[in-house]
Amino acid sequence: MSNTKYKYFFKKNLNENRFKFITSVILISSLIIIFLLDLAFGSVQIPIQQVITILFGGESEKATWTTIILKFRLPKALTATLAGAALGVSGLEMQTLFKNPLAGPFVLGISSGASLGVALIVLATNTTGVGLWLIKLGIIGDLSLVIAACLGAALVLGMVLLISHRVPDSMTLLILGLLFGYATSAIVSILLHFSENNQIQSYLQWTFGSFGGVTWRQMVILAPVILLGLIMALLLSKPLNVMLLGESQAQTLGLAVQQTRFWIIASASILAGAITAFCGPIGFLGVVVPHLCRNLFKTVNHKILIPIVAVMGAILALIADLVSQLPGSETVLPLNSVTALIGTPVVIWVILHRRSRFS
Amino acid sequence: MKFLSFFFQVACIGLLIIACNNTSIPPEISTTSNNNCVQNYNPNTDYLPAKATIKYATGFSVEYQNNYKVVTVKNPWKDAKTSFKYVLVECGTPAPEGFKESEIITLPVNTVASLSTTHLPHLAKLEVVDKLVGVSNHKTVNTSEVIEKIKAGKVAELGNNVNVERLLELNPDLVTTYGTGNPQTDSHSKLLETGLKVAINAEYMENTPLGRAEWLKFTSTFFNKEDIAEQEFSEISRKYQEIAAKTKAIKKRPKVFTGFNFKGTWYVPGCKSYAAQYLADAGAELLCSENSSGSTPSSFEDVFERAATADYWLNVSQSWQSLKDVITADSRYGDFQAVKKGNVYNNNARLNESGGNDYWEGGISNPDVILTDLIKIFHPELLPNHQLFFYQKLN
Repeated sequence: MSNTKYKYFFKKNLNENRFKFITSVILISSLIIIFLLDLAFGSVQIPIQQVITILFGGESEKATWTTIILKFRLPKALTATLAGAALGVSGLEMQTLFKNPLAGPFVLGISSGASLGVALIVLATNTTGVGLWLIKLGIIGDLSLVIAACLGAALVLGMVLLISHRVPDSMTLLILGLLFGYATSAIVSILLHFSENNQIQSYLQWTFGSFGGVTWRQMVILAPVILLGLIMALLLSKPLNVMLLGESQAQTLGLAVQQTRFWIIASASILAGAITAFCGPIGFLGVVVPHLCRNLFKTVNHKILIPIVAVMGAILALIADLVSQLPGSETVLPLNSVTALIGTPVVIWVILHRRSRFS
Repeated sequence: MKFLSFFFQVACIGLLIIACNNTSIPPEISTTSNNNCVQNYNPNTDYLPAKATIKYATGFSVEYQNNYKVVTVKNPWKDAKTSFKYVLVECGTPAPEGFKESEIITLPVNTVASLSTTHLPHLAKLEVVDKLVGVSNHKTVNTSEVIEKIKAGKVAELGNNVNVERLLELNPDLVTTYGTGNPQTDSHSKLLETGLKVAINAEYMENTPLGRAEWLKFTSTFFNKEDIAEQEFSEISRKYQEIAAKTKAIKKRPKVFTGFNFKGTWYVPGCKSYAAQYLADAGAELLCSENSSGSTPSSFEDVFERAATADYWLNVSQSWQSLKDVITADSRYGDFQAVKKGNVYNNNARLNESGGNDYWEGGISNPDVILTDLIKIFHPELLPNHQLFFYQKLN
């Protein structure tokens, strides 16, 4: 199926250029608008003029508003943008690599690894002492969760990468990833079993996901890592296109499949791992955004898809964040429920709509 | 085939006999291993002279008869559809009819397992720690009498997810626990199935500090120690009211906020909660959510907008021991006036090595001490000689 579409794309190359221009204009402008909306709306009502004044460095009527916009909403919106882009691209890479529409950023057990790290800190403080040891290091502070999640994700990623060199086909890798996931969640369950209610509550809070926990100090780490992962993905777009033909075909075309696979996994995992570490396991976006983009823009060319998926992912993440803040009310909703609740109908509509036109 | 029908007949007859017996036997006389049971029961004697009267707590009631009392827990957890009744029958006297077997408990209770640390100070105040045989976690206990008994190896550890087999082996006369309404984590139904007598203590549902502390009387009914409970509690409530009266006339009430941000969510207590009551009695004003007794998940920015200029910040994360801990947790906390002025107080002064906080154990039974701490924080001129007990200032 993908094969024919690929040819179709080359025939329509000229139209494609115009299409590319229009879509990029539409996508980028929607991204900017939604980014600004996310800054303008939140639990606290701040007039739009005031928001603009603050963004251009002016004095606002209330000092708290400046803090809210610059220290709360701006890093939150940036995090949402980065997270959406990272998870979308990571999911796309995994779907192409495993030729499986259900694959997502976390199929290789990265979020389970991260959750194990967090569980060790949050749940096992009094049983293992790991958490206390990290807290005593002091310098880490709010980063202790992030570092634990990173270590957990890196552990799983390392094992997957090591194995990817030894296993010939991707399907085995996928199954191994699933198994790693089961093993880590089993350990998390054991920790949960021995924990106090308030610790379980903290852990659950982490699994709900949030863009609001990232401060500027953390952004300095998060942003470069995500940009690195995205650039890696862009550089991989050509091999990714070849991978669509299947591994044996790609091999005959002269692609070093083993090596390519290594880099694809590395890039996807850095993106997913970093976001999970800083924001918790954000579900749904990674699986759905690639589908949405392939369906809406009718292309499987990664040179186009990767940027589109990144922008679309960012837009969806920002919308989800906006909704989860329930503008005007003083309460908030868990982010993960919002991404799934608003995302599902959109995707169902897109898929069904497309099917009916093709039948 | 013949064999089967024979079996069936025997089973039917057996069942009939059991059914007949159930209706015909006279009321069972309650007995325990204790030898101090009533010997010659006289229906006109009041066997339960010590009586409790409930003044502040709204979650339970006690009704007295000559040889038994009925304790009702009206509101065992949030939005509960059921209530619990305990029929406490004096040993050696007949149990009243019309109650389920699981609701009937023989008095006085001689062995008890407590699955929540909040029940331990009650046992200490009622001087019945010698009857305690099991707790859920040895390490989180702060009540000194209980710690001594644990060190002597006389208290079993049952685990946060109750180890039912251990508990059955201990076979205590009573298990005190609490319910949350979540059948996945609540242990009482599982324990009731095993035939153990389970008492649900719902003190955490009370919206006033004195209401919570009055659950001491609930525990006392199981040991016939209502007289001690009445005496202890009237002393606590007298001290509480006395010290609360000092702040009544105060006009300048500092603004206070509580809690902390975790991953974008900040739980703000309700204005009808016991926390709001504490602060009102301590002559301060709590940032709270209207018309609510529970806590509301709010966003960090919302709390910041409302509390940026507040004077004090209380009850922060249990792991924070200094202002530096606060800032490293999230640099944005530094923008609160209370942090700039250094007015951050935490209720973790009495944390044991394993993180068990006495504030949530002894504090619930001694609200007068917590209130004294709070008044010392907001209006030190009223209590020049008091040293903070449960609270500490973060520097």
